[in-house]
Amino acid sequence: MAKELLKVTDVYKSFGGLTAVNGVSFSIYEGETVGLMGPNGAGKTTLINLISGTLPVDSGKIEFAGTDITNLPPWKRCKLGLARTYQIPRPFPGLLTSANIVVGALCGKDMTERSLMDASAEAMHYLEIVGLFHKRNVKAEELSLYELRLLELARALATTPKLILLDEVVAGLNPAEADEAVKLIERIKDYFGVTVLWIEHVMAVLMKAASRVIVLHYGQKIAEGSPQEVARNPQVIEAYLGEEVNV
Amino acid sequence: MKVIEWERDRIVFRFFGVKWDWAIEPRYWRPHIIGIGILFVTPIVLYFVYPPLLATFIEGSLLPCIVLPVILMLIGTGRFNFGPQFFVGVGGFTAGLLSIHFGLGPGITLLAAAAAGLLTGLIFSPLTLLAGGIYFALLTLLLPLIFLEITFVFDIFKGDTGLSGIPFLINFPNFTLNQLLYAFFALALMLIYLTITDRLLRSRYALQMAAINDDEEVANGLGVNISRIKIASFVGPAVMISIVGWFYAHYFGAFSSITYLPMTFMMKVFMALVIGGRGAWAIVLGGYVVTLIEVLLIRFAGNLSPILFPIIMLALLLIFREEGLFGLYRKRHYRDYKPHFKITK
Ligand SMILES: Nc1ncnc2c1ncn2[C@@H]1O[C@H](COP(=O)(O)OP(=O)(O)OP(=O)(O)O)[C@@H](O)[C@H]1O
Ligand SMILES: [Mg+2]
Repeated sequence: MAKELLKVTDVYKSFGGLTAVNGVSFSIYEGETVGLMGPNGAGKTTLINLISGTLPVDSGKIEFAGTDITNLPPWKRCKLGLARTYQIPRPFPGLLTSANIVVGALCGKDMTERSLMDASAEAMHYLEIVGLFHKRNVKAEELSLYELRLLELARALATTPKLILLDEVVAGLNPAEADEAVKLIERIKDYFGVTVLWIEHVMAVLMKAASRVIVLHYGQKIAEGSPQEVARNPQVIEAYLGEEVNV
Repeated sequence: MKVIEWERDRIVFRFFGVKWDWAIEPRYWRPHIIGIGILFVTPIVLYFVYPPLLATFIEGSLLPCIVLPVILMLIGTGRFNFGPQFFVGVGGFTAGLLSIHFGLGPGITLLAAAAAGLLTGLIFSPLTLLAGGIYFALLTLLLPLIFLEITFVFDIFKGDTGLSGIPFLINFPNFTLNQLLYAFFALALMLIYLTITDRLLRSRYALQMAAINDDEEVANGLGVNISRIKIASFVGPAVMISIVGWFYAHYFGAFSSITYLPMTFMMKVFMALVIGGRGAWAIVLGGYVVTLIEVLLIRFAGNLSPILFPIIMLALLLIFREEGLFGLYRKRHYRDYKPHFKITK
């Protein structure tokens, strides 16, 4: 069995009266692609926010690569090897596309002796991989949604993560772009050997890409297993209100 | 391990595992050398041609000394500080009070003013962690106004008349010569601040500051230690601005709260910031332009100048909006980092 990379134990988070994440536990092992599914408002994004440290947990424990990160600030988690993207892309709009990625390359690693130049040189590499090199001198605010997704991916990769948390990659993209994006992520996985936790609404994508799927519903984990198992799970079918779950 | 290393095109400093490299790029020096040359020749010309304008030159040089740190603070904290003149007050009163009551000379009061700036900066720096957006703007707007009230309540600050009898920094019998020397002193201070700002805006710290300015939550997630950068960007400029207060006190031999703490002074600072445009040299230009307009108005419009000054400033603002005067010159330099300031959060 591969090494356990992320271990989430009995995590809770509520906003006022609403419990968005209700006692969720799971583990992710090195090299996996784990899908995270669930209807709207199930608590997927909130869970990612808890893992990346954007929000503090109410209770529970999060361990990453053997370190208890439950109370670490986000920037320390990033230096340990956690990176994320955002459901609604959040670039640094006033910075050039290249500069956006340099931020990740400069600060995302646990290295003190890094000059701006070293980081810039490295950032170009990630720009090329995602196919944004020709946009390097364009301000991020001028990019299209697809390009912003690529930018976020490159920015996350530039921090040399062990685990990438992807919050919806294909939502809002046209079929051709969506196809490209999914292929890109598969390529990246092979190339960098990163582990992926991937939220997606379009189930067909996860059915193909994920080795394991976790399903959230009202903040609780209702199913976990291979995509095929999960798709047959009656609770999951009910949660999606009879939506066709295609394998 | 060597602390300083010369390489072909750069100097590398190493200090406790932190590396700084300073690229030596002579092909980019020309505009700077020309700019500095003009600035050094101007007071000499004024000295022989029209000495009264030396005072304008001095004030014009000091204004960027406030605006440059304000810019650093705005970018690095990602927040709009509406009361930077608070630190002018801190520096000025520290220098004034210590020299009047304890007979300390300008050298020691300089250290004291810087220390006072550091201390008050540290005390108020948690605001950058706790408050954002409009709340931070309001809180910082109140700081100098509260300080202003305090100077009226406690006798020691002499709120209504201001401190006087502060020893002069330069005190030769020849007044005009003194002015010339003050002009060089102010210019030197400004060039030091300009160099610091320019170096910083090209460093890796500027990138982190810019990232914070754009979206601090995302920056945090990308490994930027945002608390450290925000506090440093608040405290450092606070010290720089306090030193300007020290200079005012020892230049005029007097320091009064109603000159520096009210919003009118703040307006001048922000006008210089906006009218000059983006970039360190632009701020310098803005400083001189604003000071010159003010002096010309006082000279030729007399009583009307307090009304005309803001109107002219507003008109200039509308004309130049985002770009500033300097923007006209370098509209096409796309690679230059252009910070934009946000109040909303
Ligand atoms: N910062 C917040 N403050 C208050 N409520 C929140 C906050 N963030 C999320 N919620 C609520 O928590 C619940 C879970 O939200 P979350 O964004 O995690 O869902 P999701 O599974 O990502 O949904 P979607 O598929 O629409 O992205 C929702 O009801 C949402 O309204
Ligand atoms: Mg979501």
